[in-house]
Amino acid sequence: MDLGFLIVLSLALGLAAWLFFLWSVKSGQYDDPEGPKYRMLEDDPEEAPRKAERKSEPPAKR
Amino acid sequence: MLRCDHCLLAFPEREAVRADVGGAARVFCCTGCRGVAELIAAEGLSGFYAGRRWDEPGLAADPERPVDAAAFRDAVRRVDGLAELDVYIDGIRCASCVWLNERLLARLPGVASARVNYATHRARVRWDPAAATLEGVLGRIRAGGYDPKPYTESERQRAQDAETKDLLIRLGTAFFLASQLMIYSAALYAGYFQGMEPGMRRLMEVIALGLTLPVFLYSGAPFLRSAARGLRAGRFNMDVLIALGSGAALAYSAYEMAVGGEVYFDTAAMIVTLVLAGRYVEARARGRASEAVARLSRLLPREARVRGRGLVPLAAVAVGELVEVVPGERVPVDGEVVEGVSEVDEALLTGEARPVAKRPGAAVIGGTVNLHGAFTLRVTRVGEDTVLSGIARAVESAQAEKPRLQALADRVTGWFVPAVLVLAVATVALHLVRGAPAHQALMTGIAVLVIACPCSLGLATPIAVLLATGEATARGLLARNGDVLERAAGATHVVLDKTGTLTRGRPVLREVVLFEGAPARDEVVRLVAAVERRSEHSLGKALVEAARALPGPDREVQEFRAVPGRGVRGVVEGVVVLVGSRAFLAEAGIAVPAEAIQRAAPFESGGDTVLCAAVAGRLAALLVVSDVLREEAPPALRELRELGLELAIVSGDGAATTAALAVRAGIDRVVAEATPLEKERELARLQAAGARVLMVGDGINDAPALTRADVGVAMGRGTDVTLESADAVLVRDDLRLLPALVRIGRRTTRVIRQNVFWAFIYNVVAIPLAVAGALHPIVAAAAMAASSLFVVGNSLRVRTWTSAS
Repeated sequence: MDLGFLIVLSLALGLAAWLFFLWSVKSGQYDDPEGPKYRMLEDDPEEAPRKAERKSEPPAKR
Repeated sequence: MLRCDHCLLAFPEREAVRADVGGAARVFCCTGCRGVAELIAAEGLSGFYAGRRWDEPGLAADPERPVDAAAFRDAVRRVDGLAELDVYIDGIRCASCVWLNERLLARLPGVASARVNYATHRARVRWDPAAATLEGVLGRIRAGGYDPKPYTESERQRAQDAETKDLLIRLGTAFFLASQLMIYSAALYAGYFQGMEPGMRRLMEVIALGLTLPVFLYSGAPFLRSAARGLRAGRFNMDVLIALGSGAALAYSAYEMAVGGEVYFDTAAMIVTLVLAGRYVEARARGRASEAVARLSRLLPREARVRGRGLVPLAAVAVGELVEVVPGERVPVDGEVVEGVSEVDEALLTGEARPVAKRPGAAVIGGTVNLHGAFTLRVTRVGEDTVLSGIARAVESAQAEKPRLQALADRVTGWFVPAVLVLAVATVALHLVRGAPAHQALMTGIAVLVIACPCSLGLATPIAVLLATGEATARGLLARNGDVLERAAGATHVVLDKTGTLTRGRPVLREVVLFEGAPARDEVVRLVAAVERRSEHSLGKALVEAARALPGPDREVQEFRAVPGRGVRGVVEGVVVLVGSRAFLAEAGIAVPAEAIQRAAPFESGGDTVLCAAVAGRLAALLVVSDVLREEAPPALRELRELGLELAIVSGDGAATTAALAVRAGIDRVVAEATPLEKERELARLQAAGARVLMVGDGINDAPALTRADVGVAMGRGTDVTLESADAVLVRDDLRLLPALVRIGRRTTRVIRQNVFWAFIYNVVAIPLAVAGALHPIVAAAAMAASSLFVVGNSLRVRTWTSAS
């Protein structure tokens, strides 16, 4: 394949990645580095209630 | 005693609110908690109870009290036709709290999105103004038992956030361009060995130049600006070296491109990128520090109950007005008690571990917690004049004055840069004298600059610090910024707070002195604990705690009565039991013999509290209660001494108590009865005498001193404010981490020193070649790569060293 084409392609890909990065910073993707590790463990919002009734009893009284 | 199914507070049975929630019988401490539980069940969010981790019980706000929306109105923005509000949610204690708040808000009709930041507890809520109201949104948070507060961000904080974001964009850009650049540089290096078509080579060089220019001019702009400032001020800082090195590499390569030599665009880009990465990590850590002051102001309630005016925003409270304070509430302003009797927990502000009795005429400080009775106070100071504001100001000014430790790498560049400049100029002169053409002489001079600028110097500190902090974190030691380790390594004095730091911070039953005719020790403790269980007093808790260790069931108590500041009385299985001060017993008509007073004296002079217990109308025992030294304190202190550090105690507590504890801890430098500002001044005095101080504390009263110290270390159980104003946090609350911190610091410093050496050595070897004008391009490239590899490899040893000990 033409080398010139490959060069343009790689630069274009790099540019696309860079623009994506700019968007991610501007839209606040890096504002809360703590959150995702907890959100990962959450159930889907729609599923939470069903699951909740099954196994989540408030702590028993003493 | 029952425990509330929602807020986990323990409460007496007669106050129980029973209800059927979510298909099961539940018990609550108040109707407010029942309301929250019903709301959670109705929204189908009961999963919250399974996931939550609450270290302390209770709600942040009464769910049934309405929120005053006026304070938030100005903060509401219009975004895409929706209303948007940033609000600080008080009472968030775990990840489940965040989950609950987000779900509760999102299920409110009209709310488009709700997102809570885990680190800052700031919620960003968007809603449709046609379908929901500000009051509705705030009410929803309050209904969940959390307290919405205006999210205030200081100007400085905002500027810092903006700076961090700006650095991130510059860094990301540099990374993308540099990675692209590597492709072409690799091709050019391959071409050097295998040969390359001149046209192709020219194309690669042009692209490489095009990729490098934005890295240098845009990503490197902060260095260029700072270097220009430094040069104008006559200072040769790190930035000058970086700007010089990358600039020289760029200029040299551009020249070589024109004459057909080898180019080093990758060097120019790499210097900028690596150093920028270090700066970004630093800026992030610093950004968190400024949260400290913001959180201090959040401690105070935002409104006060003013007699005759109802709930009034704090700003509208004037000196001389009468403010009512109910039990369990924070005192909103500084004042003087005019009515009512209570006890106030001042530990966070004064270091006094015991609750302080307040009667009419006593001064109370805003921010302290009212424990028992309701009282009315006359306001003596408001706003900026309050004690708490004074502490906030002290933290702020100490933060501003704290000298930045000049990092080792910076000190080295201080003499290295001028030396290199002189050398470069001398090289140009030498070549001119020997008859070389001007442009060639100039280029040889620039080559000296390029080869002399060690790009791995930018890595020398950050990578060692990164690895060391990672190691420290795994042991429960959080360092908030990189130079903490270097500072800890250079510490000469360790200053410890007493209450909560050297001691457990809560009283423990140490000894029971029995009198004739009294029941056995365990029986006395059980009887006394049965009565004290009903009181909220912290000394009482020590007795309850002691009884818990004994076998046998809890006893029932009748006719319980508590007299704040004096004692408690109850009937256990028909026997009248009194616990309290001597005066309390005397008032009840129980004789306290001289022998008892005599035996109590040595304890009292040692700073312990002695309670008298009477069973069936006779003095039965003296109960010695005191705050005890942490078990791990003696070995930790011994280790610190072995490391050559001098120890001292600075406490806000009384002289006798502090001195007694100092003897037990084996420390002879003691400053007692120190106010928060005096603590800070004591540290400043030590520093003026040449000491480098590592301060350890846990309370708000330590915050100014922690900020002032060369290294401020907070106990993990400390308040938010203390954690934020400290440089390092002992997450595990274990004093033995202190010597570990000093050790890791010293090792890291040693590794950094070696790194600086490795960063320089290859360049130093190559300089003579460059001066002679005989520098082979491949030697230059190898020197750059080798020094970077050595720096990274050497830094990895921080890990193996620390884990070996």
